[in-house]
Amino acid sequence: MSTPVLEARDVSMVFGGLKALKGVTLTLEEGKIVGLIGPNGAGKTTFFNCLTGLYTPTTGEVLLKGNVLPGDPAKVTDAGVARTFQNIRLFPSMTVLENVMVGRHVRMKQGPLASLFHGPAYQRGEKAARERSRELLAFVGLNGVDDELSRNLPYGDQRRLEIARALATDPAVLLLDEPTAGMNPQETEATQQLIFRIRDTGVSVVVIEHDIKFIFGLCDSVSVLVQGELLVEGTPEVVRADPRVVEAYLGKPPEEVQHDVEAAAAAEEEQA
Amino acid sequence: MSTVDTSAKRSALAPFGKPFAAAGGVLGIVAALLPWVTFVLNDGNWPDKSTLQFFDAPFLVTGFRWHVLLLGILVLVAAFAPIPSRGRVIRALGWGLTLVSFVNSAYITVKGGGLGAITALDGATAFGGVVGLVAGVLTILAGYGIGIEPVGEWKFKISTPVAYLVLLLSFGAVLYAVAAMLTTGGVGSANPYAGAIFLSFLGFAAGVLGALSGVGYVRWLSALSEQHRVFSVIVLAACALLLPFTEAGNEYWMTVAANIGIYAATAIGLNIVVGLAGLLDLGYVAFMGIGALVAANFSGAATAYFGFDLPFPVAAVIAAVVAGIFGAIVGSPTLRVRGDYLAIVTLAFGEIFTRSAQNDIGGFTNGSNAIPGVPALSLFGAEFNKSISIGAVKLPAGVLYYVLIVLLVAATMAVFANLKFSRIGRAWIAIREDEDAARAMGIRTGKMKILAFLIGAMLAGLAGAVFAHKNGTVSYESFKFLESVTLLAAVILGGMGSIPGAVLGAALLFVLPEKLRDFEDYRLMIFGLALILIMRFRPVGLIPDAHRRAEMVERADENAEEAHVEAKKA
Repeated sequence: MSTPVLEARDVSMVFGGLKALKGVTLTLEEGKIVGLIGPNGAGKTTFFNCLTGLYTPTTGEVLLKGNVLPGDPAKVTDAGVARTFQNIRLFPSMTVLENVMVGRHVRMKQGPLASLFHGPAYQRGEKAARERSRELLAFVGLNGVDDELSRNLPYGDQRRLEIARALATDPAVLLLDEPTAGMNPQETEATQQLIFRIRDTGVSVVVIEHDIKFIFGLCDSVSVLVQGELLVEGTPEVVRADPRVVEAYLGKPPEEVQHDVEAAAAAEEEQA
Repeated sequence: MSTVDTSAKRSALAPFGKPFAAAGGVLGIVAALLPWVTFVLNDGNWPDKSTLQFFDAPFLVTGFRWHVLLLGILVLVAAFAPIPSRGRVIRALGWGLTLVSFVNSAYITVKGGGLGAITALDGATAFGGVVGLVAGVLTILAGYGIGIEPVGEWKFKISTPVAYLVLLLSFGAVLYAVAAMLTTGGVGSANPYAGAIFLSFLGFAAGVLGALSGVGYVRWLSALSEQHRVFSVIVLAACALLLPFTEAGNEYWMTVAANIGIYAATAIGLNIVVGLAGLLDLGYVAFMGIGALVAANFSGAATAYFGFDLPFPVAAVIAAVVAGIFGAIVGSPTLRVRGDYLAIVTLAFGEIFTRSAQNDIGGFTNGSNAIPGVPALSLFGAEFNKSISIGAVKLPAGVLYYVLIVLLVAATMAVFANLKFSRIGRAWIAIREDEDAARAMGIRTGKMKILAFLIGAMLAGLAGAVFAHKNGTVSYESFKFLESVTLLAAVILGGMGSIPGAVLGAALLFVLPEKLRDFEDYRLMIFGLALILIMRFRPVGLIPDAHRRAEMVERADENAEEAHVEAKKA
């Protein structure tokens, strides 16, 4: 088996007395889409923050193509892991094109002096960055809005712009935090197609989502996180059939709860 | 909320829109032709023969009465000519009328003893001010009645020669307006009413500018100048260099303009730190002080630390570098502290600088005795503080400093503009907008923030070096907290991240106190009130940072690239 492109080994994260993550392990094979689901507060976003270097895991490590990732978001992005945010975090007063060009920052090499004097090499670099950014905007389906301020875009377009900005860093792995939150079914469908196309360009993807249908239609493998622990991991079919997943999301069926209550009462009586 | 307001006003005022505008325009013209004061004030005739006793030529209007006449005519034109965004234009003109009338009337009332001076007294009548105020208010209401539509957009294209002509004329008009604004009311105490005349002129200028921007001319012009960037820059520079040849060409105004220039250059530097990178710096003027001290110590002044003098360019570079190093040192806590906490760190640094300079720590500052006698600059034997003559034209003293400072401001602007639209500038703006997202995009935020501090401090150090030679004395008194705050106010007032904004802000903040001298005790109160009003009604600043359209950037870049290629061929 080849080295997985991204691997989280036994990642734990403790905030004071709160154990947000308890030894989570996740592997992402190249060219695959992995889904991460779980109820609110299960630690999905915390896990993402550990993957991207925003948090340094209390224990455990994250490897990209076999190399341990540094604990600094900027260096992680440089190494090839890009992300989007759960609550959209664009640069609101920059134009759409500028937002994507900020994503190119890490792949451009012009230093302060080149930026000051704007020589021919600098001009070529800027032009290339601009062209690449335009390509990416076209790729995610944002055409003719280059000069709009990003805060003026409709919600769905802002989500797509965030993806284009992340892709501009030429990532090997793209982490999407709830990319379809607040979208209607058509937009969700379009996002699904977009993620497939991103996968087809050779980028591996990890997706956090609450929309189970969306995740099961999209992912090669799904991991379920409950209270900071990895509950189940497997293909969508396996996960769908697992009773523990249903329980984590919907609670137990009423008769079982009844059964549990009776069992607990019996146990108490026994003790007495 | 505001939309509800205007629509409510519109429904009530809509039928009165045009009639009110017509009435406002006619009344404005009438006001210009009426006397404004019933008796001669203690300080003499109110300007432009508007006092009843001197009112011998009602139709030969000059000064503020001419402004009122012009505004009245413009209101009539705007009301009946087919122009875009009519309501906006008329409202702006109405504000102009109101301000001019209010400033003159209020001043006469306060100075001349009561409302009798501007209405009727002992059988004499002078209703000019009252009629002007009514005209102004009517016109503003007319603006709301007609409806405040979005700023007009001009679609038509013009050929390059015509565009050049338009730019030339427009920038020429700007030069004229600047010269008029500087000189209006005369120098300092020569005219007892100088302050009022200046404020009245500001009101008129604000009205006309508001109308021009409302009709879409300003936006069109800025797009045009963006299209012909090189030409615009040349014309603008030429206009700045032509100022000594206008009526502002005397020693007093050259000195004031040079001082404005020094602070404008510093404000642009501060704009990098505050406007682009979003780092609040409350001790910025200390970098200017460091630059000035370094230059003074290398100048050969009697009390300088070093007993030898370096040529000015060398000393200026050293000043910039030393200031830059201090900038990087002050910037380093930005890795750990953000927002308000950073502001406190910079505030403390400014205070450390002032106190150490006051106590002459290290012997570089000469303490409260300051470093006097910093020699004036000279080039090919021409001393910068003496008047020179080119052929038959005699130029006022200080003109060479003025030219040097224009070059300094131009260079600072070039640094700012080039950095802003580069990889570095985008990184700074991204940090300002959302630091965590910027880090997630791979920007080394720590390095970038220190770089912003470093470059900003270098620009301030450079300006400080010029300041040292221009003023001849370097004392810590010139670089205290109040100056830092004023610079910050200049940046925010003008518009964060905008170059013309920083220049305008610095000009206003350093000219207004000069111009308001005859308000004596009320000077700072009026000044503060003006700041509050501007920030209340224009929170983005007077000239907010406009986003360049990508296509134009591209065209400009391609032009530059072609130029490079051609230069290589040649």
